[in-house]
Amino acid sequence: MKAAQPIRTRPGFFRRWLTLGTIGVRMMFFDRLKLLGTLFGVVFAVVLGNFQVGTFLALLFKNRMFVENAVADVWITPPGTRQFQGGSPLNDAQLNRARSTPGVAWAEPLVLQTAQLKLPNGGSEPVSLVGTRAPRFAGGPWNLVAGETEALLQPDAVFFEDSEREKFGGLNLGSVRELSGHHVRAVGFTWGLLPFAPAFAFAEQTLAREILKQPAGSHTFLMVGAAPGVSPVELRERLQRELPDTRVMTRDEYLSEILTYILTATQIGMSFGLSTFMGLLVGLITVALSMFSSVVDNMRQFGTIKAIGATTGDLGRLLFVQAIVYGVVGSLVGLGLMAAMVQGIRNAQLTPILPNLAVGITFTLMIGVCLLASVLALVRLRKLEPAMVFR
Amino acid sequence: MNDLAIELRGLTKTYGTGALAFQALKGIDLQVKTGEFMMLVGPSGSGKTTLLSILGCVLSPTEGEAVLFGEKLHGRKESELPDLRLSYIGFIFQGNNLIPALSVEDNVAFPLELRGASRKQALIEARDVLSAVGLSDKMKRHPNDLSGGQRQRVAVARAVAGRPPLILADEPTASLDAHTGQQVTELLKKLSTERGHTVVVVTHDNRIFHFADRTVHMEDGLLVPAPAQP
Repeated sequence: MKAAQPIRTRPGFFRRWLTLGTIGVRMMFFDRLKLLGTLFGVVFAVVLGNFQVGTFLALLFKNRMFVENAVADVWITPPGTRQFQGGSPLNDAQLNRARSTPGVAWAEPLVLQTAQLKLPNGGSEPVSLVGTRAPRFAGGPWNLVAGETEALLQPDAVFFEDSEREKFGGLNLGSVRELSGHHVRAVGFTWGLLPFAPAFAFAEQTLAREILKQPAGSHTFLMVGAAPGVSPVELRERLQRELPDTRVMTRDEYLSEILTYILTATQIGMSFGLSTFMGLLVGLITVALSMFSSVVDNMRQFGTIKAIGATTGDLGRLLFVQAIVYGVVGSLVGLGLMAAMVQGIRNAQLTPILPNLAVGITFTLMIGVCLLASVLALVRLRKLEPAMVFR
Repeated sequence: MNDLAIELRGLTKTYGTGALAFQALKGIDLQVKTGEFMMLVGPSGSGKTTLLSILGCVLSPTEGEAVLFGEKLHGRKESELPDLRLSYIGFIFQGNNLIPALSVEDNVAFPLELRGASRKQALIEARDVLSAVGLSDKMKRHPNDLSGGQRQRVAVARAVAGRPPLILADEPTASLDAHTGQQVTELLKKLSTERGHTVVVVTHDNRIFHFADRTVHMEDGLLVPAPAQP
């Protein structure tokens, strides 16, 4: 019989990954308890992280919803404004100067102030009454679930928030209520317009001023539309020069300013950021411990694989594929759970927002976390001597 | 290929340093011919496993020369050893060391894939060898579903699959009863003769000595003449 010859062939790059990866996946699914434990860690991190980020985005949306939905290109606000909240009132002189600034297509005042809605039981509830100007209605209402915007042109007409109808004493279309001493009639409803302040209610500006007893020449904000061909940034610069005693921001700048305010001037950003980080950390620790203990439990198997001829790099391939599978499967399950939770708790108060971008970020982040965990396990395997299989 | 499968000259291995140093091999000179079925026997602590580990390219000698099919093992970087193992060696371990998560055929196919065989080629070869060891009806089973003897036969199949020139077996019958141990050794002998492997078996089991072309005795880190029969 001819003597056996040395075997010089070796797998290519992809073949090597496929072989080791297949073994890694089979090893994962063989130990079901450990698989479930590890996946639990990833799912926990995904749900916790996304819930925190989703809730943060919902909070952010609440603060920015008015600026996002109003049709203004540029906002003229009281000096020092950092969020959607009125300060010292603006006046007609400022409104007229804005209107006469080149590049301004239109400029309108917006009135915003808290009013008290008297309830049938004798109590009262506050609302954030927006005085929006016909016929443009640049300051809302939007997200209408009943009624037409033009209904605000009717006498004493007000739009209320649909999700607060019960709270407002079983409010229906046509219901009459007393709003800061003025009889008004519900002509429509919006949905989800609940900032951190009381829910928005909308009235045509003349009526709003009567209710709020706000003089005609006193405005909370001025909204400006840019003429065709004029960029909002350019217009903002011109208006700021004309109105140095105000703060002028483009729509995007105002949105960004609100975000910066929430992140830096409140504890919200820190609180949500920290809990998101903790979720990821718990995920990392769970996956790392699980993968590490799996490596320790199967040391003899890894020693055998190494003795047969696998390199430390091959074991790395095995662990990395395991990590990717943990990351992908855990992210899928976690995002599925998260989506179900979002549907389950959907309400106008505070529903976490799960944007498409979160899906991509979740996958990337969790695969990264699992890969990091696998590197820790690989550090242990790197020191494994294949000679241990003979002991 | 060189007529000598293994050539050892003045091979030593010392574990630890200073006062804690322990010399496991004290100057081994040995030659094994290609195709030879050799048994390495001796009491516990005599250095058999250390010698097997050096031959298996999983341990480097401290001094001396070790040549495997013309390839020098001494002075090699550790990173070069896995490739030598893949090229030359099939292993049979005392506890069979099969991977429980893989089916019997996948356990045999895995080293073949590591050597570059396609999945299809590896499975064909694995099934061939498993038929040769009498396990054609157990290919889809997992090692935990098999008896100790069957598992060791899978281990034999894994070692010989792909026809590596050298098979190293570490106490292959230690966990088997006498009859099964005889069967497994007989199988290894038969396959190695048919397929042209050189085989080195480390064993305590004197009931299988008669399968060897040559029996080499070790004691206290040295090769010694066979003890006189009573």
